[in-house]
This record gives sequence, structure tokens and C-alpha cells, in this order.
Amino acid sequence: MKRVVIVGGGSGATFLANALDRRRFEVIVLAKSASHMFQPALLYVAFKGAGPTGIVRDERSLLPRHVHFIHEPVSRIDLPARTVTTAAGSWYDYDALVVATGVTTDPSQIPGLAEIDGQFGNYHSTIACARKVWAGLDAFRGGTIVLGQTSPVIKCPPSPVEGILLAEELLRRRGLRDKTRLVFISPYPRPYPAKPMNEIVEPLLRERGVEIMTFFDVDRIDLETRTIYSIEGDEVEYDLPILIPPFVGADIAYEPADVLDANRFLKADKESLRIKGFDDAFAIGDATNLPTSKAGVGAHLEAKVVAGILDGGPAKFRGRTHCAVDLAYGMGTFVIGSYTAPVLKYPPSRLNHFMKMMMAHIYWLSLRGTLDPVFDWYFARTDPDRRSTARAA
Amino acid sequence: MDITAASGRTLVDSRGSSCPGPITDLAMAYRRAKVGDTIELWATDPGVKPDVQAWAAKTRNEIVSIEDQPDKIVAVLRILRR
Repeated sequence: MKRVVIVGGGSGATFLANALDRRRFEVIVLAKSASHMFQPALLYVAFKGAGPTGIVRDERSLLPRHVHFIHEPVSRIDLPARTVTTAAGSWYDYDALVVATGVTTDPSQIPGLAEIDGQFGNYHSTIACARKVWAGLDAFRGGTIVLGQTSPVIKCPPSPVEGILLAEELLRRRGLRDKTRLVFISPYPRPYPAKPMNEIVEPLLRERGVEIMTFFDVDRIDLETRTIYSIEGDEVEYDLPILIPPFVGADIAYEPADVLDANRFLKADKESLRIKGFDDAFAIGDATNLPTSKAGVGAHLEAKVVAGILDGGPAKFRGRTHCAVDLAYGMGTFVIGSYTAPVLKYPPSRLNHFMKMMMAHIYWLSLRGTLDPVFDWYFARTDPDRRSTARAA
Repeated sequence: MDITAASGRTLVDSRGSSCPGPITDLAMAYRRAKVGDTIELWATDPGVKPDVQAWAAKTRNEIVSIEDQPDKIVAVLRILRR
């Protein structure tokens, strides 16, 4: 029986642990947290004041009984020696390793951002931080809100747009819209990075009176004058900042160290998901430097690919993304693309929004693979490569 | 993305990364660059050309060249401001 060690306790790790055949694999999951959070829900904690009910579950409860779940943070991975060492000093050898350690926010990269993050929170890390965003919005009575990502690398690319649109809806419903200047900053050439989706997003932002500052890659924040400066030479003053910090990979020492890039993301083959240079080690989800969105759907599909490869199949990851986007006022869309198919211009609808809301309910079931036939059918039906081919024909 | 840096010249390999990957990679390299450095960006997404031109105009840095090669687009930028 082959031993598979999975490092991480989020979506990718949980999907994979559930997908591996118990008759063929001994599965060990090593995670730094005993809890599992449905991360997209933080958007609604931050912008709608939603409570924490249903957002977090015990990770052990999401895994099959045969999986050994060990709640210990990993401190070192030696790929040539095939060993994983935890901070507590335990070590595990493996036949196959899968790293699914996700990303963490790192406000320390930008002068002034750690103070902003501590006071005003963010909606990409913890429930407590998302509550700080809500506290700021709930107490807001007028002035300038500046919202956006502070670095080009982001987890969940639609989330900045979702945040500004939900903030706008909240302020309008509270009668504060006329007293508020909403400024959206983006390090990209346009508000939404992918052009076809931007054709939907940018007109919506303009229609709702959001000021847009593109090529705004945050360099520093002056806390006294309450001014955000960009590397490109622009500046904007704020009363309420809602800033998404830069993201980095997990704090784990690797041998060899050069499997990590400058942001501590693992260099992985974009199709086989193998860590560069190692046939028996894989990386999935946000932990990788793959040229695709950091999103839960990627972790899900990548886990299926790795399960297929470990099972002896010819599985390949095709870079599929399928991210639901909340456009506020009950409307939604999807960002759908792959390595070979550009992002589609997917028309907004109430049904799309409903589907995004439904995901919060079916997420826990989907982790177990119970809904895989439904997802397989749905992803095939919305396959962007098939649509591209059909358009070309 | 692979970034290789040596003596003021940074190679950013964004081949296979689609819009806006290359411009994201360029922005990350710019974050680490100094005045006088050169950044060479390799990409396969044709959208990189207008994005690099807009980026250079915005940041007031110089495009030394943008070339279509058989297997990639190569943009060379000189950093004048940072």
C-alpha cells in the first residue's frame, strides 16, 4: 500500500483525501489548523455583516475514517529524502507527497499596510479580520472609501470587484451613497484583469459611480495624511481603506529551496502538477505558481487530476477556472476560462447569483466527492475550450 | 512565471500565461527593479503588446523594443522611474 502525505487542510487537501482509494493508499493529512473555513463566505461577513454560522467546520469531520488526520504545522519538506517534518519534531516519509498549503496574507510587504490591516481588517484571511471590515463599513457615515488589491498577485481575482460593488449597494441602501466617494484601485491596466470580463465589470462600476484608478500598485501608505501612494506615481486619500494585502505561500522550509518562487509559491508543472524536478511530489491549489486563478475550483479540479495520476491514469490539468462573481443587487456572473481558452464574456443574471449563493450550502458535501457527477456534467457543459472551438467553427 | 535577475537585467518568462499574467509578472518585476535596470518580458499572449505599451506610458518607463519572434513576443523595457 502506497503512503500519500497531504500537507494542508483546506479545499484541495480535503478533496484529494476524499478522492483517494482507501484500498490502495494509506493517507496522512498534516494541517496547521483543525478547522476548515468556507473562505468565499468572508465576503458576506465583510460587506453584509453576515454571522459566522456555517462558515467553519472541524476538518476531521470532513475526512473519511481511514485518513490519518494530524493537527501539526509542517516546518520542513525534504523532497530528495522524501520526508516531511512538523514543528513538533515528528517526521513522516512518503511514496507520494501533495502540498496544498494555500496562501496567507502578508501586509508587512508594504509600509503602513500592517497598521491599516490591524485597524480596518481584510476579507481574505480570518472571520475576525472580515468583521473589522464590516465594523468600518457599518460605522461609516460619509467620505472616501478606497478599495482594492495592493499587489498584482491575488487569491480570488473577482473579489476586489465584488467588494466595491457590495459596498456601493450597502451605502445606497443606507442613503449614504451621495455622501461617499468610492475609489477602486487596481494594479492592472483595467479594473478586471481579463478583458472580456472587464467589458461587463467596467461599465457596471462606471454606472454605479465608482472612480477607477488603474495601474495602481500600492507602494506605501502614509498613516498621518491618510494617503496611499502607488509605485506608478499616483496617490489617493482615504477615510476608510479596504485593502487586500499581498499573498505569500506557507512558511515551510524546502529542500531544495529553489522549488519556491519569490512569493514562496511552489513551482509546479502546469499540467501534471508535479513539483519541478520531482516525480513523486505534487502541488495543488493556491500554493502553486500556476498561471491560473487562485480559487477553490482550481484546488478541486487539481485534486482530481492528482488523484487520477496517483491512480495510474493519464490525467492532466487544463487550467480550468470557474469563479462565481457577485455583482450586487442580486446579480452575478462567472469567470470561466482555461489555459487554452480566453475568459468568456458571461452575461450577468439572477440565476448566476443564485448559484453562487447555493455553493455555500453544497460546499461541504462537494468536498467528499458526493456531487462529482453533477460537477462533471456542469463543467463539461460550460467547458470554455469547447465553446471556443464552436465559435471558431 | 520565472524571474531570473542578474546585474540590473531581469528576465521575466510569462510564456503560457494568459492575460493579464504577463503584465502582472511585469509589475512584480518592476516592484523589485531599480532605476537603470532592464526588464525583458517573454510572453505568448498577444494581449501583452497593448498592455505593455499602456504600462510604459503610465509609469513613464522606456520600451526599448517589442518583437514578434516565432515562438514568443519579447518586450525589453528600461526602467527610468521607480
